[in-house]
Amino acid sequence: MSTAIEASGLGKQYRRTWALRDCALAIPEGHVTGLVGPNGAGKTTLLRLATGQLAPTRGTISVLGEPPAVSPAQLARVGFVAQDTPVYARMRVADHLRLGAWLNPGWDEELARRRTGQLGMDPRQRAGSLSGGQRAQLALTMALAKRPELLLLDEPLASLDPLARREFLRGLMEAVAEHGTSVVLSSHLVSDLERVCDYLIVLVASQVRVAGEVGALLASHRRLSGPRRDPGTLPAVQDVIEESHTDKQSTLLVRTGEPVHDPAWTITPVSLEELVLAYMNPANDIPARRPRLGVAS
Amino acid sequence: MIRLTWLQFRAQALTAAAALAAFAVLLAATGPHMASLYAASGIPGCQGASCENLATTYLQDLKADGDAWVYLISVASILLAPAVIGLFWGAPLIAHELETGTSALAWTQSITRTRWLAVKLTVGGLAAMAVTEGLSLMQAWWAAPIGRAVGYGGGGVVADGGTGSIFKMGRFSPLVFATHGITPLGYAAFAFTLGVTVGAVIGRTVPAMAVALAVFAVIQIAVPLWIRPHLFPARQTAFPVTSLESTSLTISTDNSSNSFVLGALNVPGQPGAWTLSSTTVNAAGQATSKAPAICVTPSVLNSDAGFAGCLASHGFREEISYQPASRYWAFQGAETAIYLALTLALAGYCFRRLNRRLS
Repeated sequence: MSTAIEASGLGKQYRRTWALRDCALAIPEGHVTGLVGPNGAGKTTLLRLATGQLAPTRGTISVLGEPPAVSPAQLARVGFVAQDTPVYARMRVADHLRLGAWLNPGWDEELARRRTGQLGMDPRQRAGSLSGGQRAQLALTMALAKRPELLLLDEPLASLDPLARREFLRGLMEAVAEHGTSVVLSSHLVSDLERVCDYLIVLVASQVRVAGEVGALLASHRRLSGPRRDPGTLPAVQDVIEESHTDKQSTLLVRTGEPVHDPAWTITPVSLEELVLAYMNPANDIPARRPRLGVAS
Repeated sequence: MIRLTWLQFRAQALTAAAALAAFAVLLAATGPHMASLYAASGIPGCQGASCENLATTYLQDLKADGDAWVYLISVASILLAPAVIGLFWGAPLIAHELETGTSALAWTQSITRTRWLAVKLTVGGLAAMAVTEGLSLMQAWWAAPIGRAVGYGGGGVVADGGTGSIFKMGRFSPLVFATHGITPLGYAAFAFTLGVTVGAVIGRTVPAMAVALAVFAVIQIAVPLWIRPHLFPARQTAFPVTSLESTSLTISTDNSSNSFVLGALNVPGQPGAWTLSSTTVNAAGQATSKAPAICVTPSVLNSDAGFAGCLASHGFREEISYQPASRYWAFQGAETAIYLALTLALAGYCFRRLNRRLS
């Protein structure tokens, strides 16, 4: 499978601090990928590097097999919706669409008109007077009408109310279904990701903690609870991601490729949110991966 | 990209057009009157020494009509135009995109940042040059009768200052040099690009405006003071003090110091030359400001030869360092070339920064 974004040894330094350091990852094409991580994990920096808005201090990054923003053709293949969905406040909605048409050879005028029409946007309205939800929709429309192969979205939902969030994601998913666009969406709202993502990457302090298809991840993780037990005595195929113990009881979140047969355990499936939180928790020492889950880091 | 640039630049362009129109109206309202006054002044077709008096009268009439103010305002407008353009067109060009985050929108369309910047810099830079040079050419048309009158010596030699000193300014004087010819082109292109560059470095519009203004002001003061006079090697000449056509002369006899200050306004035989320095030296060739005691006696001061004649007879000479009038266009060309070279250097830096070091 070809990769949407591939990075190795990637680092970006601002003056003294590293926003991203020694990051290695590969995000496959053909998925809606959720990029999750705590604040400061380097998600925004990664996406800005991927769109060529930043140049790496160290390492390399390629997007759809090319360096980011290397040519108009490469730029045309990648759509981007930035954090806080910036638009030109003093320009009208119609001017934004004209801008898109002028600067993008693959511009889909019909799509742009249809989407703004459906959203009930007045073309003569200035973008600065749009609501946050409409502004995000305008930014998404511009990115979609460019007809990119890969769409990168940086926390597009953060400032939206739940209704606007749902509308935004619906628009996104319609476009993905229609055009087969690959999407990488960064967010810390796991519940929203659960609805749209089929591939997940948890990024903590520039490092990929887990990456894989959502279905496979959910299938390979189990919560075990039972009498107190030392995790070291578990079978080798079970990796402990998270553990908590009381005097009498142990609760473990394990990764395993095989069914758990030990009758001492009560086995429950994990939700995506639990899984993400377990991997995001810096206190958890994630063991090296044994089963191959999609594209390795 | 041209169309987007126009879309975003429209408001500024209209403002500039309005300013040009207002400037044109101001000059058109006063210019014909000045021209008809000139035609009626008797200067055209005048002979010999009468020309100077007619020219002086003409300039005095203009001053009485308030045209000196128009002259001052127009010169100030041409001087300030590049700075204003640098602030309001240049500084926000990149800074505003970074500040509002719209750079993420602009630079992720199917167009490279290099092309984006190239078009923006070209359109903005050419517009800045056109506006400033437009002001300059209009003013040159308007001020043509004044220039001719000054050329006849009107105002220049009048010591009482009654004609208004602004009309005395020659082509090399800082205000006139910087507002005529081709130098406004260089200033406009430079100020605009300076604004863009500072904006790209600082990333916020208002601080960028302040810094760009400060830098531009320093450069515009430093160049005429320290750089322009040395663009070409100055010529040196020395004259007996009596042969100076016009001099500014201050004699002080306080405390029997006998000190005097003598400055050459014109270089003999070099009309329109730019006097860089003028030093009085005694017979031994030493710079001095002390006159022989004999020259400050009342009988000498009131004699025909006067103080200057007395100094000359004691071997006092005026050593003058100057640039001949024939070098005017060489100076214009050299200074404009310097500013355009700086403009290109700044533009090159902007391209590099936008492509590599953007933070």
